[in-house]
Amino acid sequence: MSKQVYTRYERARIVGARSLQISMGAPVLIDDESTDSLYLAMEELDRDVIPITVKRD
Amino acid sequence: MAISEATIESMIKDLELPNNILKTLRDDALKVGVSKKEMEAIIERVMESYKYACVEPCEAVGVVSAQSIGEPGTQMTMRTFHYAGVAEINVTLGLPRLIEIVDARKSPSTPMMTVALDEGYSTDRDKAKNVAWDIEATHIEHLADVTTDLANMQLIIDLNGKILYQRNMNIDDIADKLRDGLGVKISSPDAVENQLIITPDAPSYRELLQLAKNIHAVTLKGIEGVKRVVIRKDGDEYTLYTEGSALKDVLLIEGVDATRTYTNNIVETYEVFGIEAARNSIIKEAVDTLNEQGLTVDIRHLMLVADIMTCDGEVKQIGRHGISGEKASVFARAAFEVTVNHLLDAGMRGDVDELNGVTENIIVGQPIKLGTGDVRLISKRSGRAGLT
Repeated sequence: MSKQVYTRYERARIVGARSLQISMGAPVLIDDESTDSLYLAMEELDRDVIPITVKRD
Repeated sequence: MAISEATIESMIKDLELPNNILKTLRDDALKVGVSKKEMEAIIERVMESYKYACVEPCEAVGVVSAQSIGEPGTQMTMRTFHYAGVAEINVTLGLPRLIEIVDARKSPSTPMMTVALDEGYSTDRDKAKNVAWDIEATHIEHLADVTTDLANMQLIIDLNGKILYQRNMNIDDIADKLRDGLGVKISSPDAVENQLIITPDAPSYRELLQLAKNIHAVTLKGIEGVKRVVIRKDGDEYTLYTEGSALKDVLLIEGVDATRTYTNNIVETYEVFGIEAARNSIIKEAVDTLNEQGLTVDIRHLMLVADIMTCDGEVKQIGRHGISGEKASVFARAAFEVTVNHLLDAGMRGDVDELNGVTENIIVGQPIKLGTGDVRLISKRSGRAGLT
């Protein structure tokens, strides 16, 4: 499956939601020493492992 | 080695591009003659810059347009009356003109037409001149001296034979026109050439003076409302520029090329050619006004304005009596003008606000449907997503 292309707003929204989850203690899905939730969320988005997507209609 | 038209056609036919870009691409490729490899590279580059120029979904295009037109607007001359280029015709320019356009005035303060001529007329100066005389409104003061003869209670009109000949008119036509226009008796004495005598119905001073005034309002030849016609040579053909606009009547005149005749009156364009023409007219007028002042605004901003003004099938102004005043939402209208009245009326009618727009949601303090606010997230449920 090809990587979905998000608009900049969708990316911002996904990273925002994911970094909030991480900062509240959700398990991180990548191997990384960092404790910066925003950085981790962006890294996860780059690798396409975030279990969040957008609903388009 | 250049490739054939059919190959180019098949290469570009599946591209997601607007028609005019496809056309330019095809024409230019054919003109230059490119090889297959070059064509592929060109297509790739075109697609890249097209994608770059696209607006992302959820972008606040309306606000960006407003800013992009508003900022150059501050730099425009506040009050200019300019003579448009070479033709000595006075047109409104700058900020007043831009305001006129978005207000969708019934008639601009300086209406103007550009009349193109048919083949055969456009290269012949005399024929062009004749068409010009057919268009320009001729009144009695252009042709004659009008004297009020109080002793005999009549108006004496001494026509200038030379001017009559120039304008291709004769004394009988004028007598007929005046008779129709004024509804009075007109006689031409045999003793004097080129003279008309008008006698009012009732022999009173008031009637006579009224007549002397009214006679100037009768259009003897040409189209009412067209004050002046200027003939100019553009390239190798003559084009007429008019002060005053009457598109419908001009199109009927023989020798006028209806396909290239233009008026700067947007509402008139709408009435004669329809809404799509009006939309293009709004875009053209706005672009011209801005360019004349040396300002460059992306055409897409002006297209958005033109679309909003014309999307209902009629030309609506931006403002109280148009777009802003007819919004569906009570809050959106209240936010624009006369807040209390709108709320009061809505309350008495028991209106319901669906809170679909931006303004309403800001007022009630909710996220607006723009940018990140218009993205809805759902969880991706595909086992252990992406983990390997």
